Amino acid sequence: MKLTAGYAWRKTAEQSAIFVILVILVVIAAVASPVFLKERNIYNVVLQASMLGIVATGQLFVILTGGIDLSVASVIAFMSILSAGLMNGRNELVYPVALACLGISLVIGLANGLLVTKLRIPAFIATLGMVLIVQGIRFIYSGGMPKGSIPDGLLFFGRASLLWIPLAVWICLAVGALSAVILQRMTLGRSIYAAGGNMRTAYMSGINTDRVQIIAYMLSSFWAGFTGLLLTGWVGMADNWLGRGYDLNSIAAVVIGGAVMTGGKGNVWGTLAGACMIALLFNFVVLLGLDADAQRIVRGLVIIGAVGLYVRMSARA
Amino acid sequence: MKKTILRVLIIVALAAVVAGNAFSQTVDTAKYKKAPPWTIGFSNASLSNTWRVSFVEQLRYSIDEAKKKGLIKDYYETNANDDPTKQVADVEDLITKDVDLLIVSASSSEALTPVVEKAMDQGIPVVMVDRNISSDKYVTFLEGSSKNMAKLQADWLVQQIGGKGNVVLITGLAGASPAEDRLASATAVFQAQPGIKILAREYGDWSVVKSRQIMETLIQKYPKIDAVWCDSMEAVGAMQAFQAANLPVPPITCEDANQFLKLWKNDPKLNARCVTFSVRQGSRGVEIALKILQGQPVPHLFLVPNTVITRQNLDQYVRMDLPDSFYAETQPEVTKRLFPGK
Repeated sequence: MKLTAGYAWRKTAEQSAIFVILVILVVIAAVASPVFLKERNIYNVVLQASMLGIVATGQLFVILTGGIDLSVASVIAFMSILSAGLMNGRNELVYPVALACLGISLVIGLANGLLVTKLRIPAFIATLGMVLIVQGIRFIYSGGMPKGSIPDGLLFFGRASLLWIPLAVWICLAVGALSAVILQRMTLGRSIYAAGGNMRTAYMSGINTDRVQIIAYMLSSFWAGFTGLLLTGWVGMADNWLGRGYDLNSIAAVVIGGAVMTGGKGNVWGTLAGACMIALLFNFVVLLGLDADAQRIVRGLVIIGAVGLYVRMSARA
Repeated sequence: MKKTILRVLIIVALAAVVAGNAFSQTVDTAKYKKAPPWTIGFSNASLSNTWRVSFVEQLRYSIDEAKKKGLIKDYYETNANDDPTKQVADVEDLITKDVDLLIVSASSSEALTPVVEKAMDQGIPVVMVDRNISSDKYVTFLEGSSKNMAKLQADWLVQQIGGKGNVVLITGLAGASPAEDRLASATAVFQAQPGIKILAREYGDWSVVKSRQIMETLIQKYPKIDAVWCDSMEAVGAMQAFQAANLPVPPITCEDANQFLKLWKNDPKLNARCVTFSVRQGSRGVEIALKILQGQPVPHLFLVPNTVITRQNLDQYVRMDLPDSFYAETQPEVTKRLFPGK
């Protein structure tokens, strides 16, 4: 492909399409419902977008390798039950238990990675199975009735703000920046793109594709676990079904952001824009006062429309 | 003349007896009578919230008690994870297992109607518990009365705001008959008041997180919310939304969820009322099932009474020593099974 100015322009247009669409949606939302731009409303939307954004960033790593992680919602719920049960209201246990929980998330990610690479089980099936396994463990641990309580330390973590911006947003931006650095500047990132683009070729060129995939799944579970702790702090209680919707929504955010399910294509900022779009839509349909069924139809249409528009804009590239 | 009058009186008396029976809608179950021990199948919609876990544990407890008496030999339980398609398959599986009776809590009224009717056609008596199908073809439908629960909650709210003001309604999972029945019942109460404006009717999925997100958005849109009707633990999410926005919590309703009762006890300024949707309907369902298999007549519709919890009798129901997931109407024996060591 000739590196002409035209090509460079089209490539930029393709990558920025999602942001343009997001801005258009914000404008539409602001015009249709003036409440949308109220400071507190933006605060709420951005907080929800950040928590989804952190999970979606982990999901991005997996999708870049051509895989998929359906177990993120189950991991989030597991964190909720474990943290409440183990911390049991004691502040001094917040850090140790949180570290243990993150460790457990890494183990789950490792299991996912091993199933996909060593046992060659398709990612969809492996992580779907993991959803049920983690759910089973969760129910055995809690007996279906979550016990314990969340100490103030974790509540603070989930609810605090720094300079009027929720802590979760700062963390999401940091996670995003870190992930962007890994993906664009580090060998690991290049290996991930290569493995996702063509696994066989990447392997032949000396990349340890198994290790790269395992790292991707571990990152996905880690960020899901981290978000699980954040969400638990925000809600303030144990919930067996915390994180419901985060599985499909994180995948949607990644794909809206420009990734392809076969791998090798996608980026962090697009993913975060996708997360913002999903959070915005949820907020917007409630503000419009639509009834529940209309809400779902509008959300579905907008997501399809936005991605359709994006595909058309990048097809010209 | 006297004979005519006598005949007329007899016909009127007979008509009254027939009408009386239809009115009380008792079902004659003689055709289902079988010798014990029986095989019972229970198709559960899901265990997706702690109310359901308590409700199912009540049911299991009653099954175990019946097993001890030698009345039940086999018990099969399926869980559809809120998936109507799976639940239809579950019911088919239970029919294949040659159960003597089916207890069903439907994840979706429409989707489960054909398969339940099929079971009835095949001579398997069906007891609908907690969540119903959309037709009338079952032996008994038993619930804690969603309609009464919502009406008691809504009536109290109307009284609290003097029949005038703005109301937000948040109910459970869309398509589940308790959520829909409660929403309809509460809506009817508010619509009957000319001074009350319904600002929004949302589905909180019986999730504190979702309810909080919805309520936070609604608080931004509507500066004046005078009352919040929630059928259940959505009230916790709604409360958190008001508190996060530094606003006082308006009069609010809930059910006997311990997490709400604890918050209520710790906040003397909170104006709330809880009405229960008794978890014990799990046990009542088994009792009715046993009666059916013994050929005793049972009502077509059985309503387990709702208990009202107010600030005055709160102390009888709240359990500060038990976790948030406890439901105050759980029987003590079942509480021990759910929370060992308490």
